[in-house]
Amino acid sequence: MDFSFSAEEEKFKQEVQELFISEEELSKAAKKEWNTGLGFGPNCWKILQKIGERGWLCPTWPKEYGGLGLSYMYRYIVVEQMHHFVDIYTTVGAGMAGPIILSHGTDEQKNKYLPPIARGEVEFVLGYTEPQAGSDLAALSIKAEDKGDYYLINGSKLFNTRAHYSQYHWLGARTAVIKPKYKGISLFIVDLKNTPGITISPIWSVGGTRTNEIFYDNVKIPKDSLVGEANRGFYYILEALDYERISTVAGLERDFKELVEYVKEKRKAGDPIIRQKLGGLAAEIESARLFALKVAWMLDNGRVPNYEAAMLKMKVAETEQNLVNTAMQIFGPYGQVQKGCRWAQFDGQFERFYRDSLENLITRGTSEIMRNIIAQRGLGMPRR
Amino acid sequence: MDFDLSESQNMLLDTAKKFLEKEAKGLARQVEKTDAGYSPELWQKIAELGWIGLVFPEQYGGIEGTFQDLVLLVEEMGKAVFPGPFTTTAISGLSILDHGNSSQKDAFIPALTDGGLIISPALIKPDPLMNESIVHDQASMKNGKYLLSGTRLFVPFGHVAGRFIYEADTDKGKTLFLIDAGNPGIRCLPLDSIAGDKPCEVVLEGVEVSEEDIIGTPGKAEEIIKQINTWGALLESAYICGMLEQVLKMTVEYANEREQFGDKIGALQCIQHQCADMATDTDQVKFLTYEAAWKLSKGLPADKEVSMAKSWASDASRRVCLLGVKIHGGTGVMEEHDMQIYFRKAKAEELAFGDGDFHREIVAAQLGL
Repeated sequence: MDFSFSAEEEKFKQEVQELFISEEELSKAAKKEWNTGLGFGPNCWKILQKIGERGWLCPTWPKEYGGLGLSYMYRYIVVEQMHHFVDIYTTVGAGMAGPIILSHGTDEQKNKYLPPIARGEVEFVLGYTEPQAGSDLAALSIKAEDKGDYYLINGSKLFNTRAHYSQYHWLGARTAVIKPKYKGISLFIVDLKNTPGITISPIWSVGGTRTNEIFYDNVKIPKDSLVGEANRGFYYILEALDYERISTVAGLERDFKELVEYVKEKRKAGDPIIRQKLGGLAAEIESARLFALKVAWMLDNGRVPNYEAAMLKMKVAETEQNLVNTAMQIFGPYGQVQKGCRWAQFDGQFERFYRDSLENLITRGTSEIMRNIIAQRGLGMPRR
Repeated sequence: MDFDLSESQNMLLDTAKKFLEKEAKGLARQVEKTDAGYSPELWQKIAELGWIGLVFPEQYGGIEGTFQDLVLLVEEMGKAVFPGPFTTTAISGLSILDHGNSSQKDAFIPALTDGGLIISPALIKPDPLMNESIVHDQASMKNGKYLLSGTRLFVPFGHVAGRFIYEADTDKGKTLFLIDAGNPGIRCLPLDSIAGDKPCEVVLEGVEVSEEDIIGTPGKAEEIIKQINTWGALLESAYICGMLEQVLKMTVEYANEREQFGDKIGALQCIQHQCADMATDTDQVKFLTYEAAWKLSKGLPADKEVSMAKSWASDASRRVCLLGVKIHGGTGVMEEHDMQIYFRKAKAEELAFGDGDFHREIVAAQLGL
């Protein structure tokens, strides 16, 4: 058992850190843009491209596609540093769409999409959720009809968050009406900028983050938009969910440290209740960090982290709740006022996080679904 | 980064699993009814297996394992709620190894590792606000010997210990002594407790000890005591980890068998979610404990990590055992079922060497608060 990085990994970590330190202005500006909730601003794209041009955005990919052929632990290291300095810790292209294209795409698709994803030049928006298909993803019903030399898409998507700034829609659509439902789903890549008939409409979350409804009205997409085999989409989606389990607690660690410094500065460090809460949070965050390391290690050692990844996701979201609640308790009535108010603490950062963190309990799999996975895949309890 | 165990660790655990499977079934329940509170016979057997000497040098009858190995072994014992002064003796032995002089090491460590001697830390002083002490602390000199009086509580396996580790405030300051438990001035009373593990009230009245019985430097007891408590806290976290793994296993097995309303109760989402929470809590204890053990094995400072582990373990033990009882329904509250044994034992482990609040305070201090 060993909880340290190797000497090479440590060296790599230093290198990555140095990039962000030397690009301090840009990192701060990107983080600020990201935390407006409006998506990737120009500084976000700039920093992503600086990371991407070094092959660091998709370090596990083969070099021919813009990666470095490195292990998942290197991806963990990059993600951790990105998370700490920028809050953006990956892209959907790098983490979800890209791996499926790499495993199941045609050579044309790999050559067309993977290098720009790896360079941080393009982003994908996940097109899974619909008004009637949230946790029950297999119930999705947007239709993709095979018309011979094109597909015709009709239907809508909901909470497709990155649509307003992404180049591509990673669209899960129904190509067969069949039981069980998941056997009739296919995956498509849709060029959002150049395809007529698509309407993107903003929806605002309580956290001030923009997400979107997307309407497809008789949209024609080329045959080669299909990824992999028709009607195998759901399997690819599940497979991808196993890859995109690299996450880190670097954001939590950073925010926690800032809260501890605040408590010292404001001379509240003697309060026994605060000491208890922060002592407890430290342990909770550290245990989540160890979960994250374990998942990365498992991926590098040929083990599938099917319940470990769910446990990690759930713990991070719920630890975040503990952090924001503790912060708000410490601030007392000052916690309620927002950015720009002279009485706001941390310029309203925790006030916003208190609202925005709710999303994490729900997106990428609700905490309840995560518990189902832990119980069913981890503990062997019955699936209905 | 490596989350796997080494080959030697796997072998150690294989042996431990087989031994405990064979010898420890029903043992915890059985020994609660005895005066000893553990099986002296099995104590000899585990001495022969090299377990008691696991982390001690070969010259003292040990097998020079690491702290990590010890933690893994104690975790296995926790699964079986294996009763006995294992943690107690290990940490006492370690304090002599690190701070005793060579004649003390020669005199006591081999006796410890071959199972012949049990040493118990008698370090908890009564809280003056809780109850009137029977005998108050006193340390004086007479004819070159120390005369010690005092009361110590919750001394683990005090009634079968051959020696106590005892701190007294002498003319030189707080000093640690290794006291012969057979001394006529010592009274030892095992207390009835929730876990049935017989924590003792130990009273000294005019007990004569010599300078040779001092461990470490006179006046420097606090550092050694802190170390003893840190080791104790880590080993307790490991024991708790094992207990919770077993509780989770028993509970899932039960839920996957028990039928109500025409289906296994394990198919109900509420039961699944409770089990998922138990599994998560247990894994948190496990990794925090392993990380602390790894740091200690590497000779790195680990005070914060040990306290993170013990604070989580203490509170998780309550949460997980409570859910275990609830999911077991009626059987969970029956004396004849093992679930209640884990529930009761968990309370003792939660409290030993500092509970959740105590260790969270240490973490807060480590954060600079």
